[in-house]
Amino acid sequence: MPLPSKAFQRWLHGVAPDASTADVCRIAGIKRTTLAQQLVRGKVAEPTLVSISRGFNINPVQALATFDLYSDLRGEPVPPTGCELVSQVATIDLLRAVVERSEPGSAPVARLSEPPHPTSVRNWVDAIDDGELRHRVSDTTGIAPQNFSAHLTANRLPPELAIATSRAAGVGPAGGLVAGGLITEAEAGWPPTARREALDRMSQSELVTLAGERLLALGKTLRRQEQDHERTERIWENLG
Amino acid sequence: MTAVLPWVTLVVCLAITVARIPSALRGENRVVFYIFSLISLSIFISIEAPYLVIDGWLGGMNIGNLILRFLLYATFFFMGIKIATAFGSQSAVRAIRGPVGITVAAIVGVLTIYFFLITDTRGSSAGMSGLVWGPSLEAYAFMGRFYPGFVAACLVPAIWRTVASQAPVLLRVASGLLLLGLSLLLLSQLFPLIPFSEAWLRVLINYSAAMFTCIGLAGIWFSKAVARRKRRLST
Repeated sequence: MPLPSKAFQRWLHGVAPDASTADVCRIAGIKRTTLAQQLVRGKVAEPTLVSISRGFNINPVQALATFDLYSDLRGEPVPPTGCELVSQVATIDLLRAVVERSEPGSAPVARLSEPPHPTSVRNWVDAIDDGELRHRVSDTTGIAPQNFSAHLTANRLPPELAIATSRAAGVGPAGGLVAGGLITEAEAGWPPTARREALDRMSQSELVTLAGERLLALGKTLRRQEQDHERTERIWENLG
Repeated sequence: MTAVLPWVTLVVCLAITVARIPSALRGENRVVFYIFSLISLSIFISIEAPYLVIDGWLGGMNIGNLILRFLLYATFFFMGIKIATAFGSQSAVRAIRGPVGITVAAIVGVLTIYFFLITDTRGSSAGMSGLVWGPSLEAYAFMGRFYPGFVAACLVPAIWRTVASQAPVLLRVASGLLLLGLSLLLLSQLFPLIPFSEAWLRVLINYSAAMFTCIGLAGIWFSKAVARRKRRLST
């Protein structure tokens, strides 16, 4: 459920009292028609707010926190758990870490790529799931379990669902927003080296097991993509 | 509008058919070209002005209409097999080309001729709308709607799976249009419920079905061309 446009306009007035809509859109790098449409519909999407906050050098998390829907974000940022941090390491970086750990000194330590990754959302949910998390989320939000799964498969996480999920898991409220790509890890208050440190804290067996799980999941995804691709090619071959 | 729609449909189908000539000459998917030609020809014969001329040559007994029915049966037979193969539905291919499909086609064909013969069909009129409609003519018309509907019903599930899949957007939109066209054919099974005074509704459904089917098929071709071009540009 996006932000009500009345509250959004109140916020925007507080942030940029003198800026015209055109200025706001130019500074934020968003289309005027997009913003106008969202205002007319009475619902402003969170990414719009985030873009505008960035344009005006405001922390998007603090901006979101001014809305009642995101009151969880108020106060000091809750540090992410180790599992959450590792979940936001890209699979290829994880594999590199396995190689580095097995053959020390073989390759220079590469920078970890920024989240989100192609499987960020599912990895994050898996990392904080105690086995009952999906049930609790669907109980509190009313989202059907298969719809929740569809989000994970599509690597999407609507911000409100991200908040509800972190609340149900008892972790900091911003983690899901990072995994869903709404905000960066820096904006969420994660220290820049936090993911690397969490990775280094893992034992070799933990690291290898996790890499194995990731590869298994990646294999499944790739197989599905290949099948989709084959289906498409067959249609084109016969009718194109 | 229902006077213009048949002609618009014909122009669209003819344009697609002509556009496919070069690839047909290169030997790419000739069957698709034949299918478009058959559809265009069927639409041409079904329109009042050409129909009256052609049926006049054939003796003014609406034999033209009988020919049109069989043209449509042939179109749907070949189109059904091709689409079912393309959308990877072995069960649909079997249902159309297997024993069941052949039996259905044979029964429909025989009954179509039978009902035509026992009806007084003198007096050329497009869609035989100028004739006195008795049970035998109703049955004849039912046969003409039933076979395309049967083929459409076989194809709908497989096409729907593609529309709902992760395939490229253009392909899904085109498949959606094809699905819409075929669904209209299923809807046309309810024609007897439409009162005679609302005949324009039948015309609308029939020609929109043909139009959406053709645009959908052409759209699949188009989506392929776009994807190929994108791939060439990216490499």
